[in-house]
Amino acid sequence: MKPFFMNTIYCFQNARLAGVFILVLLLTACASAPQLRDSTEQRLPRQSEISDVPFYAQTEYQCGPAALAMVLNHQGVDTDVETLIPQVFIPGREGSVQPEMLATVRRHERIAYPIRGSFDDLLGHLAGGDPVLVMQNLSLAAFPMWHYAVAIGYDLDDDTLILRSGEIERHTLSFSRFDATWARTDRWGFVVAKPGTLPEGITARNAINAISAYEEAHGPEATLGSWQAMTERYPNNAIGQFGLANAYYANQQPDKALSAFQAAAQRDPQMGAAWLNIGLLQLQRDQPEAAREALSKAAAIEGSWQERAQEVLENQLGR
Amino acid sequence: MNKVRAYLSTLLIAALVITSLPVAAAPASSTTDLVSTQSVLANDSAQADRERIHQLLNRADIQDELVKQGVDLDEVEARVAALSDAEAQQMANQLEELPAGAGVVGALFAVFIILLVTDILGLTDVYPFTR
Repeated sequence: MKPFFMNTIYCFQNARLAGVFILVLLLTACASAPQLRDSTEQRLPRQSEISDVPFYAQTEYQCGPAALAMVLNHQGVDTDVETLIPQVFIPGREGSVQPEMLATVRRHERIAYPIRGSFDDLLGHLAGGDPVLVMQNLSLAAFPMWHYAVAIGYDLDDDTLILRSGEIERHTLSFSRFDATWARTDRWGFVVAKPGTLPEGITARNAINAISAYEEAHGPEATLGSWQAMTERYPNNAIGQFGLANAYYANQQPDKALSAFQAAAQRDPQMGAAWLNIGLLQLQRDQPEAAREALSKAAAIEGSWQERAQEVLENQLGR
Repeated sequence: MNKVRAYLSTLLIAALVITSLPVAAAPASSTTDLVSTQSVLANDSAQADRERIHQLLNRADIQDELVKQGVDLDEVEARVAALSDAEAQQMANQLEELPAGAGVVGALFAVFIILLVTDILGLTDVYPFTR
């Protein structure tokens, strides 16, 4: 008898809970449809689909490796799901985690650029020809069902997004439904590009971090083209110029390195590291007077590099 | 096996720390190496050195944890090496909590009804047959 009694109470509570749930959801449902900016509506073509993105159906929990295989293949990497599973899948978690998704792209000599988490940006990338690997929570926050898929297109006339997802080669769903599932991962997603190219619409900060992470894995010799693309897009970014300078230096082009360090210091006169590197480079080139001038500037700027600049001034130039 | 692993990881940690010490202990002024883009992003030279040691410990932890989670021994080293410092930090701090994209799998029946309703409302995308 007792279990039956407990069961009924359980059901009743559940029904009430479900009722509350539905009520709350109905109230919030209207608010969740993404509003596109007017400029996006005017700028983008009404329809867009990158149909040459290959499709790999996921097996079991392996949507991470499958989604990665699609975007990597699209960028000319010869790989498949079987190769990627041991590189990115975590058996104990029955899934793949975001940092490793990004890191695995770099292992295949491509750069993963996180996108800005907005619907306008997502559609912009698709219109620009870059498929976006997105993370979704298909279920509710309380019972998460994390999922990776590849967005490949959209239709502004009937408000649908087109994905390669799970076992469905061409999964179409409404903007509002997709955005509800995407918002639960804080709208996480990234595009993949070859070193030396920078996809349209990537922010300066995201570009810098992505190129720098690639540099950690492959060295500054491998990032010169990417820094060039980055500084071409964002010529006034001091850190971009600084990254470019270090890549020139690693590629045995000290003259260009020096002028890029000077460009960094000009964009941001308070960037002590830029003055310090100008000084160190001038020292290497046996130009002590120019070195002293730059190092003095570095030594005068409060912050991380002040102490080192003072030491170099004393030890190398005997101030 | 576990003992061997514990011993090995201690040894590995020790080895990593020892090999990293010269880097950390080297007085900055003795070198005329240029400041790397990564240290500028990390934004503090001394802090970057401290973080380096911390990172090496972190990476050993991550490696251990991934092996525990069933990742192949042959693969785990390359996987951890592929992480940037920032990603390694994220992994070390929250490997347990990081969402792992897994895909569409069966939900508990108790949850079935709720998700069915939310699917129909267009808030979730669990059951393709709702459309």
